[in-house]
Amino acid sequence: MAVETAERPEAHEVTQEVQTDTSRFQRYRVRTGMFAWMAHRLSGLALVGYLVVHIWGLRALTSPEAFNALIAKYHAPIYKVGEFLLLVAVAYHAMNGLRIVLIDFLGWSPNQKKLFWTLGAVTAVIIAVGGYPSIYALVDHYFLS
Amino acid sequence: MANKSKAINWFLHRITGTFLVFLLITHFWVQHYDSQVASISKTVVTQEQTTPEYPNEAQEAVEARFAPGEVDGYYNEDGSVTPYGVVMLRLADPVYAVLWKGFNILFLIVALHHGFYGLNNVLTDYIRNDMGKMVAKTLSWSLALVLLVIGLYSVITAGW
Ligand code: HEM
Ligand code: HEM
Repeated sequence: MAVETAERPEAHEVTQEVQTDTSRFQRYRVRTGMFAWMAHRLSGLALVGYLVVHIWGLRALTSPEAFNALIAKYHAPIYKVGEFLLLVAVAYHAMNGLRIVLIDFLGWSPNQKKLFWTLGAVTAVIIAVGGYPSIYALVDHYFLS
Repeated sequence: MANKSKAINWFLHRITGTFLVFLLITHFWVQHYDSQVASISKTVVTQEQTTPEYPNEAQEAVEARFAPGEVDGYYNEDGSVTPYGVVMLRLADPVYAVLWKGFNILFLIVALHHGFYGLNNVLTDYIRNDMGKMVAKTLSWSLALVLLVIGLYSVITAGW
């Protein structure tokens, strides 16, 4: 287990925190960190799942008929929802991953609340701006036309 | 020795992650926001599976590069361009195809390394015995290798 701790300094940091300070405020921070870590793990796994399906589907690149049929399928309403969820996973994983890298390489504190919430806001903007077309397409399809 | 290679992989994982930010931004721009491909995000097509309609910029760009009738699958019966025609603007370009294929290959390798190394981190966290870890590791990296070969083949042969 020692090796694993060395591989994941983040988790180590969190344990230390629990040991050194148990005030209410501190515990809240631990839970935010815990949640951020779980969400990072889940979004990472979801992205691996997507990547497998994506590369498998892209075999269609070698055949015009197959590729056009595939893209037509991806324009069905259900895939627009999937597209949006994919963006959520990518945006969160990318911004939180960036936060981890900054902490590890630049020695920033994992308790950097400012960094956490700034990147949180950036993530929200990416999701809103990037997700707008998919959501708009759905609204347009069901309610406007 | 084992620890050293683990440290290198840990370091590489952070590097590939950072690199993926740039790769993914480019990928999303190209797939969704370039004026020629805007329909990818902007239309819903229903069960009959009609192909999505592309903006005029896409139509003009495809016509400028591939004469109608000369290539199969780039145009619909009514003369509008297909998704395949639009993607081939990059992957069958006489000059820049090499660059786009190169970009995709780089992306493919980096994404697979980052994703499957991460997957292995998760697996070794939950699998307790060494035998199980070994099996999980072998299976997952085999899958990554298969995907690498499939991905390389698709993107290299597409349009050529
Ligand atoms: C967009 C840019 C990305 C960045 C900046 C990034 C960053 C990171 C970092 C720093 C970690 C290590 C977390 C840790 O050791 O605690 C990580 C883990 C992981 N990433 Fe990424 N990543 C990105 C994209 C991706 C993509 C595209 C995939 C899937 C193909 C992916 C899958 C994973 C997985 C499965 C893990 C392991 C999670 C865990 O150990 O809990 N990531 N990512
Ligand atoms: C809905 C969003 C997405 C769409 C519409 C999309 C579409 C495509 C298309 C059409 C290609 C073929 C090559 C090209 O056009 O240049 C491609 C390649 C690729 N995509 Fe995506 N993509 C999406 C999201 C993603 C995500 C989130 C990832 C990373 C996890 C990803 C990873 C890749 C990789 C690695 C390749 C290269 C595959 C190869 O070389 O065989 N894509 N994508």
